[in-house]
Amino acid sequence: MIQLTNVSKIYPNGARALVDVNLKIGKGDFVFLVGPSGAGKSTLIRLLYREESPTRGQVQINSKNLVRMKEREVPYLRRNIGVIFQDFKLLPNKTVFENVAFALEVIGVVKREVRSRTRATLELVGLASKETSYPHELSGGEQQRVCVARAIINNPALLVADEPTGNLDPDTAWDIMDLLYNINKRGTTIVMATHAKSIVNKMQKRVIAIENGKVARDEEKGGYGYDT
Amino acid sequence: MTLNSSRYILRETVNSMKRNPWLSIASVITVMVSLVILGFSIFFLANASNMAESFESELEIATFVQDNATSSQVDALRNQILEMPGVASVTLVTKEEALQDFGKTLGGTQSNLLADLGGRNPFPDKLTVKATDPQNVVALAEVVAALPEVDKVRYGQGFVDQLLKFTQWLRWIGFGVVAAFSVAAIVLISINVKMNVFSRRREIQIMKLVGASNGFIRWPFLIEGLALGLVGGAMAAGIVGMGYNSIAMYVLSKLTFLPVVQNAVLFRQVTFGLLLSGMAMGALGSAISLQKFLRA
Ligand SMILES: Nc1ncnc2c1ncn2[C@@H]1O[C@H](COP(=O)(O)OP(=O)(O)O)[C@@H](O)[C@H]1O
Ligand SMILES: [Mg+2]
Repeated sequence: MIQLTNVSKIYPNGARALVDVNLKIGKGDFVFLVGPSGAGKSTLIRLLYREESPTRGQVQINSKNLVRMKEREVPYLRRNIGVIFQDFKLLPNKTVFENVAFALEVIGVVKREVRSRTRATLELVGLASKETSYPHELSGGEQQRVCVARAIINNPALLVADEPTGNLDPDTAWDIMDLLYNINKRGTTIVMATHAKSIVNKMQKRVIAIENGKVARDEEKGGYGYDT
Repeated sequence: MTLNSSRYILRETVNSMKRNPWLSIASVITVMVSLVILGFSIFFLANASNMAESFESELEIATFVQDNATSSQVDALRNQILEMPGVASVTLVTKEEALQDFGKTLGGTQSNLLADLGGRNPFPDKLTVKATDPQNVVALAEVVAALPEVDKVRYGQGFVDQLLKFTQWLRWIGFGVVAAFSVAAIVLISINVKMNVFSRRREIQIMKLVGASNGFIRWPFLIEGLALGLVGGAMAAGIVGMGYNSIAMYVLSKLTFLPVVQNAVLFRQVTFGLLLSGMAMGALGSAISLQKFLRA
C-alpha cells in the first residue's frame, strides 16, 4: 500500500531529515516508527499525506505517485488519509460534534449525512455523551478521541499518527491504543510515530527504527529497542 | 458547488465580516469614495460634452442685426452673407421667434410677456452663419461684423475649445484621483481578507488536512472581498444617483439656460458600472491576498 523508493528529504535550511529510505508497508498493517528525536519520523509521516515532498525519490500510496501528483489532486488524496497529532489540533470555538463534522462539511457532504456519520463516529470513539462540549472542557484523552474521530470519519484506508499519546498519561494512552487497535482490525493501515516504549513492546507490531534519517531496524513483531 | 457548500460559505463570509467590523467598514468606505468620485466625474464629463455640443459649435457665428433694420434689409443681409466664400448656411431667428423661445424657457404665459418687458422686444434678429471650415471662422466673423446692418457678432471665441480642454484636464485629474482611491480600496480589502485568513489559519490548516479543495477554502474569502466591494459600489451608486438628481433639479430650476443631462440609459449604465467596479475591486483585493497562501 505504501512504498518509499530512495527517498531523501533535505529541508531548505540544509537539515538532512531522511537519507535514501526504502520502505514497503502493506494494506492493513500496523507499523510503529521509533527512533531518537530529530531522527526523521515526523518528516516521514508528513511525506505520507503530502504535507512535504521528498527532495529525491518516490512516495507511492495505493500505487498513486505523490511526487508527480498535481496540487489539485492532493485534497482527494487526503480524504483517504486520516491524520492524528500529539497536540490534537482541535478548533477551540467549535464543539466536539462540530469539530468532527467539520471534516465532512468542508468536503461538501450533505447535511443529513454529516449528522448521522458524525453521531456514529462519536459513538465509535466513546464520546457520544460529550458532543456539545468544547475542547477545553475535555481531558487530554477525550480531546485525542475527538482528533481520532475526525481522522477516521471519512473511512480512510490509511491513518497516520505522530506521537498520538505523547501528551497523555499511560492509562489514557492505552485507551487511545485500544481505539487504534480496533480501527486497525477493521482494515485501516496505521503508521504511528512514538516514543512510548511500553506500548510498542506490548503491542508486538512491526517496528521501524529511524536513526539519522535512515532505516536502522525493521522487525515484524518488534520491540521498542531503546532505553528511556 | 452544492447547496450545502454554499450555505457553509455564506455563514463563513458573514462570520469573517463580524470579526473585523472596523476594517470592513474602512474598506467599504474607501470603495465608496473612489466610486462616488468616479460616478460624479462621469456625470460631469457627460454634461460638459453635452454643453459643448449645445453651445454654438466652433463653426457658427451668431450675427446680431441692428435693431432698426427692416425685414427686407435683414433678408438682403442674409443673401449677402450667404454669397460670401466659406459660408455653408445662414439661418434666421427673428426677434419675435427669439422672444417666443425665451417665453417658453420661462414657461409662463407669453401673451403678456411683451407687456412685462415694457412693450419693447429686447431681442435682436439673429443670423446664424455656419462656416465651411473652422479655420475661416475668425476672418469671416470680422468681415460680417464690419457690415453696416450688423450690430455685433459672437462666435466660439475659443469657449468650446476651452471647455473641451478643461474636460480633458478633468478627465486626467478624475482618473488620477479615482485610480489612487481604487488602489487604496483594493489594498484595504486585501488587508481585510488577509487578516481573516490569518485569524482562521487553524481552520484552514485543518480544512487542508481533511481534504477540502483549495477552491472551497478560498470561496469564503473571495466572497468576502466581493461583498465588501459590492456594498461599497451600491452605496456609491445610491449617493451618486440621488446626489446627481438633486443637483440636476436645482440647476434646472435656478439656471434654466444650462442644459443638464438627464439620460436614463446613462443613469443605468453608471449605476451598473459602479456596482461592477466595486465587485472588481473586491475580487482583486482578495485575489491579491489569496494568491500567496493557497497556491492552485
Ligand atoms: N520544517 C522543517 N524545517 C527545517 N528542518 C526541519 C523541519 N522539520 C524537521 N526538520 C529537521 O529535520 C530533522 C528531522 O526532524 P523530524 O522529522 O521532526 O524528526 P523526529 O520527528 O524524528 O523527531 C531534524 O534535524 C529537524 O531539525
Ligand atoms: Mg517528531
